[in-house]
Amino acid sequence: MEEDSLKVIIRTFATLREIFGGTGVLYLELPEGSTIEDLLRELRKQYGSKLDVGRLVGENPNVKILVNGREITYLDGLGTRLRDGDSVAFIPPVAGG
Amino acid sequence: MEIQSPSYHRSLADKLNLSSEELERYDRQLRLLGFGVESQLKLKRSRVLVVGVGGLGSVATLYLASAGVGLLRMVDYGDVELSNLNRQILYTMIDLGRPKVESAAKHLQKLNPEIKIEAIRERLTEENVEELLSGVDLVVDCLDNFRTRFILNDACVEHGKPLIHGAIYGAEGRLMTIIPGKGPCLRCLIPREPAEHDKIPVLGPLPGIVGALEALEAIKVITGLGEPAIGKLIVIDGMDLSFYTIEIRRNPDCPVCRKIKIEEG
Ligand SMILES: [Zn+2]
Repeated sequence: MEEDSLKVIIRTFATLREIFGGTGVLYLELPEGSTIEDLLRELRKQYGSKLDVGRLVGENPNVKILVNGREITYLDGLGTRLRDGDSVAFIPPVAGG
Repeated sequence: MEIQSPSYHRSLADKLNLSSEELERYDRQLRLLGFGVESQLKLKRSRVLVVGVGGLGSVATLYLASAGVGLLRMVDYGDVELSNLNRQILYTMIDLGRPKVESAAKHLQKLNPEIKIEAIRERLTEENVEELLSGVDLVVDCLDNFRTRFILNDACVEHGKPLIHGAIYGAEGRLMTIIPGKGPCLRCLIPREPAEHDKIPVLGPLPGIVGALEALEAIKVITGLGEPAIGKLIVIDGMDLSFYTIEIRRNPDCPVCRKIKIEEG
């Protein structure tokens, strides 16, 4: 890893997993000091057309965003700083029964 | 730590109206530490509404009936279809085309003749939800869409009925126990009405796992045992067998919770 970047693992769930395919696990390299907001911007850059369906947006309160298992609402929201090796999860609600 | 002997149960049960057949039927759970005859009687006196008898409801009702809830009221409008049988384990080929609640009631009554079963072949709506809730102590959400879940959630919060929420998608599950006035509700968890999906993918064991957990939560709330998942969303990823517990707080702007008195702490 370069000194001025960090790598995070991203796990997506349910309908989001279908957008990214496979097991829904992505690895992303970001500049040191990046936040969730930066991560979302990078994801939109890379997967833009797929994400424009409006399901993975930081403004959608239905999608729980977790950093290392904690919801970002109880951290620093979209401004939550990421560290190398962090695990980020995007969990949308589901309704099957 | 004291292990209660069968004779202890026998003498207490005599006083409290459990037949020797019931004592035998529930023997293994009566042996559970902290359960005992008192918990069995709480179950026997309890009246539970299960909304939906599909994948979740198949398993939740099997465990609630076998655990000995006094009244099991089930509501579902659907008929049994072939595409149900990869997950809706209450039904067999002989039930195809029959109303689910009728087949379910027959099967569950054979499993446990000690309990009372009510089968209601209706869709839960804003119009009938109050009537369906009347007289029940606890509700289990085994529905398959957001819209009806919100109707049920709103009515449960308004009437102070504990609601066990379960849902699935693909190889994933979700579970949260809602105790009105004590923790967040479904609208606190899902503030916006999400898009509905028809014919979603489902791997059979997932509704089994979540339905069983819903029955477990219901038994805990009824008996007072353990710690129900209040303010905790349990997310199950069957693909790597990860269980996540996510803290969910009450939304101060929740249009439903705002109407009721909230317990502190
Ligand atoms: Zn609420």
